[in-house]
Amino acid sequence: MSFTHLHVSTAFSAHYGVSWPEELAAAAAADGATALACTDRDGLYGTIKHLKACMAAGIDPIVGVDLAVFDDDGDHRTLVAGRVVVLARGHNNGAGYRALCRLVSDAHARTSGKAGGAVPAAVTRAELASRTLDPHTLKPVLTVLLGPDSDVGRAMGGRRYLRPRTLFKQWLDAMPRGTLVAEIVSQLSAPGSPFSTSHAVRMLRLAEEHHVPAILTNAVRYCAADGAPTADVLDSARTLKSLPELAGEPLLQPTGQGWLKTADQMLGLGREIISAAGYGAADLKQLMAQTEALADLCRIDPITDMGWKHPVVPEASVIGISQDPHVELVQRCRAGIGKRFPGITGAGETAMLSRLDHELGIISNLGFSSYFLTVAEVSRMIQDMGVRAAARGSGASSLVNYLMEVSHVNPLQHDLIFERFLSNDRATLPDIDIDVESAERHNVYHRIFERFGSERVTLMSMQNGYRARGAVRDAGMALGMDDGEVGEIAKQLWRFSARKFREALQEKPELREFAGRVEQRDAEGNQQLDLLVDLTERLDRLPRHISMHPCGVILGDATLLDRTPVQPSGLGLPMSQFDKHDMDPMGMLKLDVLGVRMQSAMAFAVREIIRIHPGKKEVVEAGGHQPGPDGSGPDYIAADGRIDLNAVPLDDEATYELIRSTHTLGCFQIESPGQRELIGKMAPREFNDLIIDISLFRPGPMKSDMVRPFLEHRHGFAPEVYPHPDLKPVLQETHGVTVFHEQILKTFDIMTGCGLAKADEFRRALSSETGEAQVEAFFRREAKAKGYPPDVVDKVWGTLKSFASFGFCKAHGAAFAVPTYQSAWLKAHHPEAFLAGLWEHDPGMYPKRLLVSEARRLKIPILPLDINLSKAEYRVERVLSGPDTGKLGIRLSLNGIYGLSAAELKRIVAGQPYDSLADLRERSRLSKPSIRRLAQLGAFDSLHRNAGGPANRADLVQHLQKLQSSSSTRKGREVLEGQLSLPLGDVELRNIKPGLPAPTLVDNVRAELDLMAVDVSTHLMDSHRPLLDRLGVTTADKLLSLRNGTEVLVAGVRVATQTPPMRGGRRVVFISIDDGTGCVDSVFFHEAQESAGPLLFGTRLLLIRGTTRRTGPRGISLSASMAWDLSRTETLPFPDALPTPAPDGPHPLDGISRTLAITGFNG
Amino acid sequence: MGMFSESVDVVCSAAGQPESLTWAGVDYTVCAEPLRWYERRQWWVEDTRAPLGGGPGVVDHEIWRVQVLPASAATADEPLTLDLTRHIRSGRWRLLRIHDGLRPRTA
Repeated sequence: MSFTHLHVSTAFSAHYGVSWPEELAAAAAADGATALACTDRDGLYGTIKHLKACMAAGIDPIVGVDLAVFDDDGDHRTLVAGRVVVLARGHNNGAGYRALCRLVSDAHARTSGKAGGAVPAAVTRAELASRTLDPHTLKPVLTVLLGPDSDVGRAMGGRRYLRPRTLFKQWLDAMPRGTLVAEIVSQLSAPGSPFSTSHAVRMLRLAEEHHVPAILTNAVRYCAADGAPTADVLDSARTLKSLPELAGEPLLQPTGQGWLKTADQMLGLGREIISAAGYGAADLKQLMAQTEALADLCRIDPITDMGWKHPVVPEASVIGISQDPHVELVQRCRAGIGKRFPGITGAGETAMLSRLDHELGIISNLGFSSYFLTVAEVSRMIQDMGVRAAARGSGASSLVNYLMEVSHVNPLQHDLIFERFLSNDRATLPDIDIDVESAERHNVYHRIFERFGSERVTLMSMQNGYRARGAVRDAGMALGMDDGEVGEIAKQLWRFSARKFREALQEKPELREFAGRVEQRDAEGNQQLDLLVDLTERLDRLPRHISMHPCGVILGDATLLDRTPVQPSGLGLPMSQFDKHDMDPMGMLKLDVLGVRMQSAMAFAVREIIRIHPGKKEVVEAGGHQPGPDGSGPDYIAADGRIDLNAVPLDDEATYELIRSTHTLGCFQIESPGQRELIGKMAPREFNDLIIDISLFRPGPMKSDMVRPFLEHRHGFAPEVYPHPDLKPVLQETHGVTVFHEQILKTFDIMTGCGLAKADEFRRALSSETGEAQVEAFFRREAKAKGYPPDVVDKVWGTLKSFASFGFCKAHGAAFAVPTYQSAWLKAHHPEAFLAGLWEHDPGMYPKRLLVSEARRLKIPILPLDINLSKAEYRVERVLSGPDTGKLGIRLSLNGIYGLSAAELKRIVAGQPYDSLADLRERSRLSKPSIRRLAQLGAFDSLHRNAGGPANRADLVQHLQKLQSSSSTRKGREVLEGQLSLPLGDVELRNIKPGLPAPTLVDNVRAELDLMAVDVSTHLMDSHRPLLDRLGVTTADKLLSLRNGTEVLVAGVRVATQTPPMRGGRRVVFISIDDGTGCVDSVFFHEAQESAGPLLFGTRLLLIRGTTRRTGPRGISLSASMAWDLSRTETLPFPDALPTPAPDGPHPLDGISRTLAITGFNG
Repeated sequence: MGMFSESVDVVCSAAGQPESLTWAGVDYTVCAEPLRWYERRQWWVEDTRAPLGGGPGVVDHEIWRVQVLPASAATADEPLTLDLTRHIRSGRWRLLRIHDGLRPRTA
């Protein structure tokens, strides 16, 4: 006889369940079960995965939830009286599932969506009761299980025999007939404790007394008995108490018996309970039969109960169409031809129309017309808001999307294949992603909600799982280890999964020391470290918490909330409990609305250009643009100077020159050291080259040595080789090398005649072992049948195999190449506005301080903080005096100053200009610390200069310091109505007592780093010059002139740390440092990693020894052999035998703990 | 009541229930239905390793409460109540407690 487990928490019960749905379903099926329930805590987080797992295992899924119930007698809003399990009845056209979704949403409706909220996720008994009956038929659709965790169960401890009975009766009174069962559980704990057989007996008797059916479960938290210690650690993580503390209280599970027991074991438990109750064999039979009877009521049909894989889109009327969606779609596409293909005729027109018909045919066949219209509607809506929006991803393959202005890449011109996006064989809703300006993202969400209605839209969630660092921290806390010690260990862990901790200890050089400590166990009982490693591995990838997906929006029809439960997101908008893996199975239309900071940066730059230049003529002059058809400038610049970036032609020579120079800091996608190396070698000449570059810089091509042969062929160093002449048209644009998914599709089609739709299926199948074997068989057979010789078949198969899962979709590349080009175009023509945009929106991978170096390199003056001229944003300003007069500079913004609140910033800007400190204090009411910090940063320097007087900045700061510590706490005097402030200039500033030495450059830089994370006055490495000279360090700007293979020492502040995927699998670490004359990119291979040890990831200032290696006509990098921490002078390799010098005074990073903002890396 | 941790040899029935045991050289027979439950261990203190796949027996150990009479006893003797623990992985039995005189203490 089989047994069905009806109370099971999967790993998706965060910080509670241990095992994945797949493990549980497989174990249940292996034991002969025919169904399994998933009843995660507080939500349906694991439900869809459970469905998939059950279907794969060949058993019926049962769905439910484990919810807290509010105490009817207590404070409804926060006091909880126990938990119950609720199961949905099945085979009722989804009535049970619907009620379950709504119930779960009820439970979260009052919570805040923020961590640590006072209101828990819970339902009142009345809410529960009302959801158990279907609103239309009034039949029961939910079943509530009262078990050990319910208020009844919890009251069973001790000798209060009346209390549980009273509580039980209250349930009976509240719940409709047929919706309540008693859940009998024994986890064999000591007699009289929770989860003991004696408690189970009492529950059984209660049930019998009141004629309520009793069922047997095991309140499962883990799949096998082995999972019990993990559950302990999770309990510790959830309660934030160590295991010793929890054991003392006692708050841990009383035993480790909560695993998915076999049918035999459950029968044994049942027997034990029945016998302890003094009942007989017939009662045992009844208990087991009732359990199975409830299971049968709850078996779910994924299709009829949950709409499995049935796509649902918003109703036509909601999208704004009144005729057949397909007819509407055709009309809109045809209407777009004039704009997208002006004047097209002849063969070109025929080809385009034929492609359009092809796409429309597939769309109509799949019934997705409404989907495309929905996406077009969203896109139009966003653009109407004046926000930049562009589709990314395979959606760019579609001509329909191009015609409806959802995407901006011409698929015909770039040979993009529709089947890569959608085909008759692919019945799932395609994914369309839209990039929008990051700063506008929330506005866009709100507008979508307004437009479609809150019953049709939700945000999407994502599961965040444990990674190595978090796992170590929680494991350490569970063991009661010292916070600091655990923190130190966590810092050393970089990018490996927690599960591989022990393996990493063997391999990674930077963990050597820790590995040693684990091995030696001293008298203090350092065996804890060994346990720490074990526990860390147990936590690997387990879900920790759910959060809002950064870009997913779900659109459906009015039944959306019947099919997904929702909870608050923290953004004020509801969020589905389903994540991206659940979308497809549930037929949900998900739109990814991605906030891309580069889009915001570019929009900002365009606005700055208009602000600074009075009109089109000045913009054309400043940017060096073409005179255009009538001499007044190109068409893409409007009369007021607004540049339509989407209309800029993609062939501007100055832009490609900039790209080839590799000075691409700030340019989208091509600013990393690796990319700059590739760009330097590839030397792009046209837009298609950009597409190829972006597609090459992926794990697949990098790992499988595609780049080198590609470059060799491109530059003519080696002749292009094609496996067969038939494939030449396909591979010509990439010189014989397969780079794109589209090329893989065409290769399949040409060599087997399978058609592009099937070809895309094959491509996707290649990512699994079984799939690969099947595809290989098909390919070889058909290619042979078509007459291709065996060596050609072998060669082509080898290529297909390695590229199919790694290669890049050209449509993705094309969509990315557009903003890449646009950003480089802006940098080439309007660098000041562009840099200001970069500063404002910080889109790149490097810390902001590097922009200062770039500005210096471009000879763009950086205008310091000024209380009267600086605003809330970075701005372009024309320099009015001094050596840079007439140039455009960038004025630093008041935003981002440590300690200056947003409100204070607003007030400062609102009150500008100020003629004295007193004026500033009165009208802006800044706090004294804020004023002092502004002074430290030199914001009052010009005011001070105008006021005159002998004091310097240091004196001013001291003066303010004294004021701050004096007794006055009021921020300012009220300005009396009618009283004018006399234009006396700043008397206060003039009269400050001098006496202190002026702050040194180092002092200024330190203040800047501390308060803004940007060293403006001078590069922070400058103070190290004397030290570096003694060491014999070479500066970055001199490297290019050295011969290849020269051994050098370089030094600088860390600006980038990466471990990209490399050929051969061994980890390679790229570290870039900035020394004030440029950046040095260095590579640490395995031996160098060994030498450097913990310095690899733990230091800000580095001294690196290595050998130069040329990477292209303008590229040079360093193959590192050793590294030192520059701030620890006693360890540095001074060439002479003189004693180690005392450090040359304090250096700028002394005492500053900000690391992330300065180095871009959380060391 | 005394607490011990002495090893005992236990013979179980086919169903896994203790039937007889030898303790300190004396043979005893179990004379009533034993009671069995599990109690928690402080594994984070007692164990040095807890690797994934290590199996059961980390978090709890099995306790049997048995009433025994010496095998060679006269029928008038009062039964002794003993708490035994079995370590799940090694299978070793130890005597945990002996209960007072005539009446077993409830947990």
